[in-house]
Amino acid sequence: MLQGALSGLAAGGVYAIIAVCLTLMSRLVRVVNFAQAATGMFGSYVAVWMVSKAGIPIGLATVVGILIGGLLSGLIGWIIATWLSEADTSTRSAVTVGPLLLLISLSFILFGNKPQPFQPLLAGPAFTVSGVVISQVTVVIVVLAIVVAAASKLVLSRTSVGTKLRALSERPTTAELIGIPAKPLGVAVWAITGIISTIVIVIVAPSQSNDAIALSMLIVPGAAAALLGAFRRLDLAVLGGLVLGVIQGTVAQIDQVSFVRYFLPFLFIVGLLLWNQRKAVWDAAR
Amino acid sequence: MSVLSLDGVTVSRGAGPVIRDVSLEVVSGTITALVGPNGAGKTSLLEAISGVIDASSGTISLDGEPLGKLSRVRRAHRGIVHIEQGRAVFPSLTVVENVRLASGNAARANEAIDMFPELEKRRDSPTGLLSGGEQQMVVLARAFAAQPTFLLIDEMSLGLAPVVFTRLLPMVQRFAEDGVGVLLVEQFTNLALSVARQALVFSNGRVTFQGEASVLQQSPEVLHTAYLGGSPAH
Repeated sequence: MLQGALSGLAAGGVYAIIAVCLTLMSRLVRVVNFAQAATGMFGSYVAVWMVSKAGIPIGLATVVGILIGGLLSGLIGWIIATWLSEADTSTRSAVTVGPLLLLISLSFILFGNKPQPFQPLLAGPAFTVSGVVISQVTVVIVVLAIVVAAASKLVLSRTSVGTKLRALSERPTTAELIGIPAKPLGVAVWAITGIISTIVIVIVAPSQSNDAIALSMLIVPGAAAALLGAFRRLDLAVLGGLVLGVIQGTVAQIDQVSFVRYFLPFLFIVGLLLWNQRKAVWDAAR
Repeated sequence: MSVLSLDGVTVSRGAGPVIRDVSLEVVSGTITALVGPNGAGKTSLLEAISGVIDASSGTISLDGEPLGKLSRVRRAHRGIVHIEQGRAVFPSLTVVENVRLASGNAARANEAIDMFPELEKRRDSPTGLLSGGEQQMVVLARAFAAQPTFLLIDEMSLGLAPVVFTRLLPMVQRFAEDGVGVLLVEQFTNLALSVARQALVFSNGRVTFQGEASVLQQSPEVLHTAYLGGSPAH
């Protein structure tokens, strides 16, 4: 059981990082970005292609892949900031389904529909807990999730750029009327979260199902984790991701119910939505 | 001396024009009051000047240079600061954060806050927790920190008791004394006219009176006629 729970931490860390990115996007640029993981997938596929087909060293290819993930995300952000700057959150979010499908289709066309031959950037055990081996990937991903959330909180609360971003998220028009440039700041948020998503996918892809759909659909558990913090709180987003990963890992160890692990993010989402709506449901019932 | 000028400006929203063929000049160091009934188009005029909405025809110029399609951010950098209707504060940001947004100059931001003793005590409080009057003080302090050339103020008194608004009005005069051209949209007509040099009365999107503010103050019948859409003999 412990082994299962700890093995789920790596996946949980990935969910946590994607949840942090989704929370930042929701708070700062008013979008639930369904293409968050897909841009990371595409950037990491480009890195794999550069290593396996063009013979470029893995370090350089990884950096280029990460930058491409960031650029793609920034491009989507630029399109939304240019043509949908006044649209509501639902419309802006719905639009990101387009790039999600486009990037999956494009990856099939360019790289085929088979899992990619990722070379691991990190391999081997980091340490052992009660006889259970904790991999380097698990340690790095979990630490990365916490660092990204803490760094984001620091930037938002302690820097002038963070203050401007918070102002933009609260009253975009008022912020622009005092000279805060909404478009460049918004595109920067898109690009940075794209870079973070690509980094995490490059790290974990060698150790899990890495076809285009599986990687792009990491958005589902990521969104479930972000929902715990109501797409507002970074700490709860991290906690949600880690808890979801641990539960999935634990359930996978129990043969009779192991199939449930695939549905857990959806159950998590439904459970949280019902919990959040409990007062309205109770009032209606009365 | 700076001049903000509008020449034959028409602004449309939805079905049709909300402002038709408005021309006016605002000179730095003066206050111009825009008064008129609700829905007359005063807010739309300010929004067209600051770039929130586009003018469908006519020219808006700053010192003779047409602003054209210049974004609202660029217009703010050119010195046109627009205080929107309602409480234009960022509620989760503290008083200091709100004011410093408008100026990289910390000394200027501190000077702006120091002008209001009420704010001095609540520098680190989220502005969402302040009273309506205090929130408007934050907005005025932020405008002061921005060092505008022209300041567009839209219904600053909305939701405030007249006594609170009276407390804020000297600050508007201070802007003009410092050389800022102020365009003041206000529901408390008499208070607005008492500080303005020039006045325009809007009715149904048209200017029905344009002239010295003192004329309207001294002749209520002229003001009433203009409010009702007539063109007083002036």
